[in-house]
Amino acid sequence: MFRDIIKNTQAMVGLTILLIIFIFALFAPYLAQNDPVDVNPVLKFKEPSSNYPLGTDNLGRCVYSRLIHGARYSLFIAIPILFSLAFISIILGTITAYYGGLFDKILNVICNIFMAFPPLIIVLSLVGSLGQGMINIAVSVVISMWVWFVRVIRSYVLEEKNKQYVISARISGCSDFRIILKHIMPNTMPQIIVYFSTGISGIILMISGFAFLGIGIEKGLPEWGAMLSDGKSNLYSNPQLLIYPGVCILLTAAGFNLFGEALRDIISKEEG
Amino acid sequence: MIFYIGRRILGLLIVLIGVTILSFIFSSISPVDPAQAYVMKNIPNPTQEQIEAVREELGLNLPIYEQYYNWLINCLKGDFGKSLTTRNYVIEDIFKKLPATLSIVGMAMLWIVLITFPVALICAVKKDSALDHAVRIVSIIGVSIPSFWLGFLLLLAFAVFIPIFVVVDFGSLRSLILPSLTIAVPVICSLTRMLRSTILSNLNKDYVVYAKARGLSNSTIMSKYVLRNSLPPVITALCQSFGYMIAGSAIVENVFSWPGLGNHLIHAIFGRDLPTINGAVLILAVIFVICNLLADLVNNLINPRISI
Repeated sequence: MFRDIIKNTQAMVGLTILLIIFIFALFAPYLAQNDPVDVNPVLKFKEPSSNYPLGTDNLGRCVYSRLIHGARYSLFIAIPILFSLAFISIILGTITAYYGGLFDKILNVICNIFMAFPPLIIVLSLVGSLGQGMINIAVSVVISMWVWFVRVIRSYVLEEKNKQYVISARISGCSDFRIILKHIMPNTMPQIIVYFSTGISGIILMISGFAFLGIGIEKGLPEWGAMLSDGKSNLYSNPQLLIYPGVCILLTAAGFNLFGEALRDIISKEEG
Repeated sequence: MIFYIGRRILGLLIVLIGVTILSFIFSSISPVDPAQAYVMKNIPNPTQEQIEAVREELGLNLPIYEQYYNWLINCLKGDFGKSLTTRNYVIEDIFKKLPATLSIVGMAMLWIVLITFPVALICAVKKDSALDHAVRIVSIIGVSIPSFWLGFLLLLAFAVFIPIFVVVDFGSLRSLILPSLTIAVPVICSLTRMLRSTILSNLNKDYVVYAKARGLSNSTIMSKYVLRNSLPPVITALCQSFGYMIAGSAIVENVFSWPGLGNHLIHAIFGRDLPTINGAVLILAVIFVICNLLADLVNNLINPRISI
């Protein structure tokens, strides 16, 4: 499996992009030479120079430093959201699919109800009632997406549950807990990783979309979507302020998608 | 068939009741006291008595299930109350804004159908050709691109550098092109890949071998058998994406300053205009549910096996 990933160009391109962005996010204070929120109106719209590698924005802030710090917001909001979704969906999805019964039916109805709302609408509505803030955004995204994740995991487990090896394991006296943990989980994991990898790019796009609308992220913070929104009033005079953060969002989302899709190809080849 | 539709509609009713309960919960978990918010709109420094009077008038002192019941009855009458910002009836505002959103989404659907089907078909037939690989790369970029950024890029390219379009434009057919393309691109990219892989997996089925053995031409096999059998998941996704695009229009409408429902909802959120938020959310959810039902019914007509 790992050998397949290393041999696959697409997977490696995706992983390399992700690695670079993770390094940016982790070492942002060392890589960025200027304070990303330091306003200096005298220096606005400066051309790129050794002090400001990508120039400055409408408030004289270093664009390069802001972009580097932006990696933190995108990744460090999206990753906790993904982990909460993974936790909820793996537990609920596996248990309901494995045991079935009344609990499964009730969850099914709840899923149908939540799925009647496009996730964007749930988040807009919740932020409308809960108010702004990064935590509110994260909680709203989890509330809006969990049913979609549970449904997908449930379908993976359902497919696996009736395979020969699970039945054999049960006949040979394996406990339910052991079957789930030792047999079903490892076999569904590759598919789950593919789904999460493409799912996180969706979450990153969603968060930056909200930041662009001015929802969730405080004004002035160097989040990429928010930077784009700041830059839109200078669409004609300084289009580069719009282009840089967009490229960053695109690369991050594409990194996860490239890796996820390549992994899907590798898995489907293995299964024949 | 009639039995199937009846069962679906019963399921739909349960979902709709759930949707109203959920919208009601979403709107009532607000930490802001709605009575106080309502009074503050008219009187800057209300006394406690004034707030209590309004609370009673709006029925906010009743137990929660009675509030829900009253709210539901009003919703069924199409009465979501008055907007706190525009002071019009919420429902009137929504129906005034809805056509603008529907026109973008309708145009986007046209792009999607016109582009997705031919491209996916060609990619499936010429699998692993240079074109197939190019489409694959473009579609990965397409699903990774933030839609608001794509909107700006299109504006920058076709309204600033090559001025074919006007930046702020509303009303003409021409003004629809850029926003509808922006909203359609991610859907086109994901649907193309989906349709391509369904066609490919159908090509390996026994019925294709049989059709070939009967001596049918490749184009007949493709159009009459394979495409028809590959449609159901794509139609489901197409109808769902209609609902998604109406919801997702909030971001694109913001980029193009388009006076549609999405922009209206965003303004309502910034103005903490709860009646408008609730009304818009409920109507969007109902549209989404109806789209999903339509997807099932269309699939049922094309491919009657599913209902059995």
